[in-house]
Amino acid sequence: MEINNIAIKFDEVTKDFSRNNQKTFKEFLPALIYGEKTVDKFTVFSNVSFEIKKGECVGVIGPNGSGKSTILKLIAGVMSPSKGKIHVHGKVSPLIELGAGMHPELTGRENVYLNGAILGLSRRQIDDNFQSILDFSELTEFIDQPIKHYSSGMYMRLAFSIAIHVNPEILIVDEILAVGDTAFQAKCFSKMEEFKNSGVTIIFVSHSLPQVRAFCTSAIYINHHALQQIGDTATVCQTYENDQKQ
Amino acid sequence: MSLLKELHAVVKWRELLWQMVGREVKARYKQSVLGYFWVILNPLAQMLVMSFAFSVIMRIPTNASSHIPYSVFLFVGLLPWTLFSNSLSFSCSSLVSSASLITKIYFPRTILVLATTIAKIIDFLFALSILVFYMIAYQIPINVNILWVIPIFIIQQIFTLGLSLFFAAANLLYRDIQFLLNLVLMLWMYLTPIIYPADIVPERYKFLFQLNPMAVIINAYRQTILGGGEPNYLSLTIALILSIFTLLTGLAYFKSREKIFADNV
Repeated sequence: MEINNIAIKFDEVTKDFSRNNQKTFKEFLPALIYGEKTVDKFTVFSNVSFEIKKGECVGVIGPNGSGKSTILKLIAGVMSPSKGKIHVHGKVSPLIELGAGMHPELTGRENVYLNGAILGLSRRQIDDNFQSILDFSELTEFIDQPIKHYSSGMYMRLAFSIAIHVNPEILIVDEILAVGDTAFQAKCFSKMEEFKNSGVTIIFVSHSLPQVRAFCTSAIYINHHALQQIGDTATVCQTYENDQKQ
Repeated sequence: MSLLKELHAVVKWRELLWQMVGREVKARYKQSVLGYFWVILNPLAQMLVMSFAFSVIMRIPTNASSHIPYSVFLFVGLLPWTLFSNSLSFSCSSLVSSASLITKIYFPRTILVLATTIAKIIDFLFALSILVFYMIAYQIPINVNILWVIPIFIIQQIFTLGLSLFFAAANLLYRDIQFLLNLVLMLWMYLTPIIYPADIVPERYKFLFQLNPMAVIINAYRQTILGGGEPNYLSLTIALILSIFTLLTGLAYFKSREKIFADNV
């Protein structure tokens, strides 16, 4: 039963962005009339194929702009591939730039419910987990204040605490572990370890090779619009480092 | 059918829909002294000023046969129009203002437009209390035909939602749309019998109102609430068909653009 083993499969995936040359009607209409090109294609990567097995913990590495975050967005279903197919088996939870759905005027409590709903939780699921979210965030005394009075660290702590209570099957993490003070960071990492040990598939994007080495079982390296290497963490990180030295 | 599919997705994500409606409603007037009272104060002030301008200064008559005071006559048309125009212009920017969500998390995007529309209906219901108060104060007689208001309101919402979906998706690609929309809404208001009764319009221009679902809808409100009569069934049927067509087209356009929302926002 090979199929059941696979959490994510990219099949010859190409992602183009079309950039509009003309941003407004005023520029767009004449261009259309004179037959100028109105869109410009920009290929992030092409023909990327890989498989990620259930329970794997995969780091995605590569320089800025190579398409690491785009891969996460494709997995999350936020973006669609221009060519190729993506198969995702299991519930995906993003830990991408936490707090996207937070509203500054609402209280911490209201934001927990709002953000929980954005992550696909039902009211009852949030009710059941509320105390645990509160404990993890260590924000009990501030929970009924509007979060615009929170510090940025408190803000992130609340967002992270909600996100980890989603019970994901596939967790996608984008550079967020630089959150909060050292103690909270350690807490986050131990929670991620816990996820890893309980068989959650984790896709982890980071610039920090030490973090990837310490945490991931395998890695994907993308650069120059293509998949460069996929394999065990040590080898792939080494290739990336060698490339960077050149 | 894309409509059924979308409905199914929205039902599945209903918790998010309610939370988003709650966010719109709760967050708006948080740091204001009068809070939600502004929702009532706004249309009230608008109605008073317009009543003065159009009935005292310009002396626009109300429906020929009735003794309806102009303020009530105006309000029956102005309230649903304000709902329509607010829903449209807020929905139009609803996707853009939630850009940070659209680029990060998957959920049915129609929820953003729906939540805005529902939040505006809630505002409308608050503002409706003034109309009820006025109607009681002026002792305007009503009869069972007032129940027609419910189907008329549903037709209005189908029409509004269809246009909202279209404008929201289009505005994501070209921000000009929101400015264009405000212009269109202003012109549209004067081409709809809101501040004047439909029967003072010259015969040869009346076809314009047949083709304008908002004119049909506003007329139908007046006929059933103030006139106590039945609406014009033929016009209402045409409006219903046009509204459903608008919704299907709007949704089809929205779905065809949905895939590239995150790329373009």
